[in-house]
Amino acid sequence: MAAAAPQPTASAAPFDPAPAPRRPRRSLARRLPVEGLSLLAGSLLWEIAGRTMDLPWLPPLSMILADLVTLLGQESVRANILASLQALVIGFAISLVFGLVVGALMGRFLSVEAALDIYVNALLVAPTIILIPVFFAIFGLGDGTRLSVVVVYAVFVIIINTMTAIKTVDPAMVEMARAFGASEAFIIRKVMIPASMPLVMAGVRLGLGRAVKGMITGEMLVTFVGLGALAARFGSQFDMSKVFAVSLIVLILAAVTNWVAQLVDDRLTRWAD
Amino acid sequence: MLVAFLTFWEVAARLAHNIGIATFSDTMVAAWDLMFGNGRIWEAMLNSNAALVLGFAISAVTAVPLGLAAGRSRILDRALSPYTAILLAIPVAPLVPIAITAFGLSLAARVSIVILFAVIFIYVNTRAGVRSVDRRLVEMAHAFGASERTIWTKVVIPSAVPAMFAGLRIGLGRALTGMVAVELLLVATGVGKLLLEYRDRLQPAYVFATVLFVIAEALLLLELARFIERKVAPWND
Amino acid sequence: MTDVTAASTETQPPAPWPDDASLAAASHGGPMIELRGVSKEFLGDRSSTTTTHALDNISLTVNEHEFITVIGPSGCGKTTLLRIVAGLIPYDSGQVLVKGKPVTGPGPDRAVVFQSFALLPWATVLENVAFGLETRGIPRAEREEQARVLIKTVGLAGFESRLPRHLSGGMQQRVGLARALAVNPDILLMDEPFGAIDEQTRRIMQEELLRIWGYRRKTVLFVTHSMEEAVLLADRVILMSPRPGRVHEIIDVPLPRPRGRETERTREFTDIKELLWDKLRVMQTV
Ligand SMILES: Nc1ncnc2c1ncn2[C@@H]1O[C@H](COP(=O)(O)OP(=O)(O)O)[C@@H](O)[C@H]1O
Ligand SMILES: [Mg+2]
Repeated sequence: MAAAAPQPTASAAPFDPAPAPRRPRRSLARRLPVEGLSLLAGSLLWEIAGRTMDLPWLPPLSMILADLVTLLGQESVRANILASLQALVIGFAISLVFGLVVGALMGRFLSVEAALDIYVNALLVAPTIILIPVFFAIFGLGDGTRLSVVVVYAVFVIIINTMTAIKTVDPAMVEMARAFGASEAFIIRKVMIPASMPLVMAGVRLGLGRAVKGMITGEMLVTFVGLGALAARFGSQFDMSKVFAVSLIVLILAAVTNWVAQLVDDRLTRWAD
Repeated sequence: MLVAFLTFWEVAARLAHNIGIATFSDTMVAAWDLMFGNGRIWEAMLNSNAALVLGFAISAVTAVPLGLAAGRSRILDRALSPYTAILLAIPVAPLVPIAITAFGLSLAARVSIVILFAVIFIYVNTRAGVRSVDRRLVEMAHAFGASERTIWTKVVIPSAVPAMFAGLRIGLGRALTGMVAVELLLVATGVGKLLLEYRDRLQPAYVFATVLFVIAEALLLLELARFIERKVAPWND
Repeated sequence: MTDVTAASTETQPPAPWPDDASLAAASHGGPMIELRGVSKEFLGDRSSTTTTHALDNISLTVNEHEFITVIGPSGCGKTTLLRIVAGLIPYDSGQVLVKGKPVTGPGPDRAVVFQSFALLPWATVLENVAFGLETRGIPRAEREEQARVLIKTVGLAGFESRLPRHLSGGMQQRVGLARALAVNPDILLMDEPFGAIDEQTRRIMQEELLRIWGYRRKTVLFVTHSMEEAVLLADRVILMSPRPGRVHEIIDVPLPRPRGRETERTREFTDIKELLWDKLRVMQTV
């Protein structure tokens, strides 16, 4: 019976507020820079493992960083980075225009959504990489292939998020504007666009991340320019340290572009938090 | 709608006069041949899917518990967060040569790439699922004297199930990408080998048909995942 | 502990209403909950400038079988007070005793009914009601039997295998009430339990609660922001004032029981309610 039930014990679990008449204090763990320490520990581990185990696929971190510096100093490498950036910017711009327009149309008009929904979803979830040989067959070794790969990687998530954003704008808000006699254009400009901005921007940022991946994958598979081509070349030479160094460059590129997108996002969606 | 799309494909392909583009009808003929004529798609699929199944299973078995643990422990979560960020942002394709160097042209190399593609999404979603548990439910369980174990099995894990499944579905899509990526990049085998071979032999209909098979597999697997999710978490729709 | 199992309570007809004399005797069964100078501050996220003084030097005694309601403006610490008594959050200073023992965490002698219902969305009505028993390791057959009895008590017979989202708000809170009663606690802690329920249903729920309380006589600490509700249900109303949260006044409600809608039409009821409003209106900031 209830009286015989064991008294619950206080444990140090995260959900347990551990009630006791004492002042709450900020724990040591919360003040420690755990992330930085963890990254440092991982780097050290890598360095040590790389030096002692002498595995061809695990060069010491210091060697990778040295290679990174060397690579960045080379004219040809910088040209390749620029070429990659160019494909990324153009491809992403196309994705952005196309994704926002198609997504908005799908969100606004049921008929458009009904017509395109299954293709967009299929292409969003299907492995996009499988399309690269198809593009190659169509466009050959040119910029068409590079750009179309970036676009198919980035565009569908932008479409889906934009559509969802438009569709989930609070109807009460739209109705309110209508009740005040606002025109359709005014409603789109002052209600729909701001209200859908957070989700749209989330899609844009996801799309940007995917664009970087599409850029590098496309370059590895079908062209002889850009960071992907560099990675492919070092890979075929089994120069693993340089492969890692190129990956680091890509990572930095991804971080920088994401940071830019974050700035834009913060600007546009300041009201949301 | 489907008819309209297929007609468009057929007409556009005929008008394009591009040797890289196959018409719908040619693609269907090629698909028939791949299935029942030369029958090569079956062996290729089987071969590719060995890496997919193994890689996905390993990813799920490691990422789900790790995600649960990181959802529970703030320290672990913070310790893992830089690596999470890196794995989410980094394109895996350039790392394929590294896996090959480590494991040779083997199944193990393909499996490891599939894992690199899939694991992070399962982890991130599982963790988010645990994090987003309704605090009020946890408080309720506490008020009724529930033990940590009961709170986990009766409150936290069930409420993380939808997010966990979302992660598994995304992970599955990524695992398929990984599977194809290795095959296209270095280990020519399975459907990747088929694709490259038909591409080089300028048989676009066969390229298109193979692509359709892979997309069909992806959609089928995702539908299967949805079906299982509805069985496991029927309260969620 | 005199323990009447849920099953036996149900099979007995509801106890006849105690006469005034026995009521008086019953409602002085000794202190059940005692707060002595309890204070509680919430630290802000980073800087200590955002510290909230939620409770300041609260002293309060709730006797066995007493029905106490707590009322006060939003943010005056009602929920905080209840969560402290429930053992869900720590307090900074003072003493909180339940049946003479200091509160160090949740215990089987107290059960909580939540404003948000806090039902497990994946669990059926039966499983939700049995939840508290399950946490106590009571075997399935036994806990389900007890849960069924309580489901009947709150008028939900036939809904045992429904999921919460298929129930109306009022029905969901009946589940919440049954879940709390199922563990047969000495004390019911209720935080605006009918606050999220529409007015008509709320009135029915109040009557149901009075009916059930009539023959189970739990000690109840009931937070509300409705003045009618506070007066209708309570033996005593605790009036709290905000910033910092303090007990402003304790108002006796000597209205005869059993109470019902007729009670609300009496002069005495209206007088107490108006008195309450006069005092609340002074603190109210819009
Ligand atoms: N977990 C918390 N962290 C910080 N401040 C809180 C927390 N809970 C409550 N407070 C603050 O304490 C005060 C009292 O809150 P509460 O007890 O919820 O009031 P009531 O239930 O009377 O509306 C409020 O100012 C509220 O903002
Ligand atoms: Mg409250």
